[in-house]
Amino acid sequence: MALATPYALHAVSPAELDDIDRQLAAAPADVARAFADEVRAVRETMAVVSAATAIEPPEHVRDRLLAAIEQPPLRAVPSETPSRDSRPVRWRTVVLAAAAAVIIGVGALGIGLSMRPAATTSTTEQIFAAPDVRTVSGAIPTGGTATVVFSRERNAAVLVMNNVAPPQLGTVYQMWLVGNDGARSAGTMDAKAVAPSTTAVLPDLGGSKALAFTVEPGSGSTQPTTPVFAELSLV
Amino acid sequence: MTADLDALLRRVAQRDVEAFAAFYDNTRARVFGLVTRVLRDPGYSEETTQEVYLQVWHNAASYNPSAGSPLAWLMTLAHRRAVDRVRSEQASTQRDSRYGAANVEIAADRVAEAVISSDERRQVTECLGSLTDAQRECIQLAYYEGLTYVQVSERLSANLATIKSRMRDAIRGLRKCLGAA
Repeated sequence: MALATPYALHAVSPAELDDIDRQLAAAPADVARAFADEVRAVRETMAVVSAATAIEPPEHVRDRLLAAIEQPPLRAVPSETPSRDSRPVRWRTVVLAAAAAVIIGVGALGIGLSMRPAATTSTTEQIFAAPDVRTVSGAIPTGGTATVVFSRERNAAVLVMNNVAPPQLGTVYQMWLVGNDGARSAGTMDAKAVAPSTTAVLPDLGGSKALAFTVEPGSGSTQPTTPVFAELSLV
Repeated sequence: MTADLDALLRRVAQRDVEAFAAFYDNTRARVFGLVTRVLRDPGYSEETTQEVYLQVWHNAASYNPSAGSPLAWLMTLAHRRAVDRVRSEQASTQRDSRYGAANVEIAADRVAEAVISSDERRQVTECLGSLTDAQRECIQLAYYEGLTYVQVSERLSANLATIKSRMRDAIRGLRKCLGAA
């Protein structure tokens, strides 16, 4: 009980925090309730006290936040869009959830990413720490979403694919960084890599203007051989 | 304010972008101010503020009114993140080099009166001033500098029981002062 105040103020070490939580779980109901009441009272008090330290944040914090939660739809090739209009509300929710999840997950917890385990954490952290970090997101016409978080300054991006249908047997999805001088492969994803969510680091954006996706035979191609089925603008 | 924030938060849980923007506008100065006070670095503070609100956007549905006011929920979340950040920066020792170069002074006059009245601010400041120096020091070290109470006791060469009771008395003093006015 003497620790309720330090606990409420986040002034206990992680080990002690676990200890307290364990004890609370095992404590009689009235003790646990008294502890919770004390914690709540401390937090309500400090919420009022926050008036004393208030400072206006810069306007760009608001802009970035709203940009991060409100993603424009993915531009898709017209002939490939049968599913695009069918359930707009649903995919929008998925996009928002996915974008928020990736930003929180990667930014705060430093989640290790799957494709390049050695380099990922630091590159990802650098992208999120970059002053010019941006997020673009959109639906894949055949289902699922793609989200790219990128920084021009860091010259790198993190791609997250959620609920994307796997490519047909014998083919892969290939990502292309498209610039004025053509398309450059940014990696491939096979059926195993796609489900249910995939993350990839794209370390060198160069002068690319967009990230495009095609279906390629075998283990990929040196240049796109099929029409682009989805594209995210990096401009 | 609680009723308004409560209603906004419920709409945020329904993915209402307008409600999210309004919730941000009503609380941003408190969050950014607290985070800045803890982190003392404008860049880190902006990032952490952004993370706090993305967490709000993502987790608004998990807010439980019976566990406290929306403002307390938000400020607890903001404080937790700021403290985590300051501890991880200290652990990686990057803090000193970057912090030395970029300390910020708090410019309280930048806060919009519409959100926090000068009366409210004055009252809270007076209540903080009504604490004993020893109590205020404990709040400063534990709440605003992110030290654990064990670290506070080491810093002040006081025993743990003393520190715990100072912290508790400080909060009780604040609560009484704020509630009485």
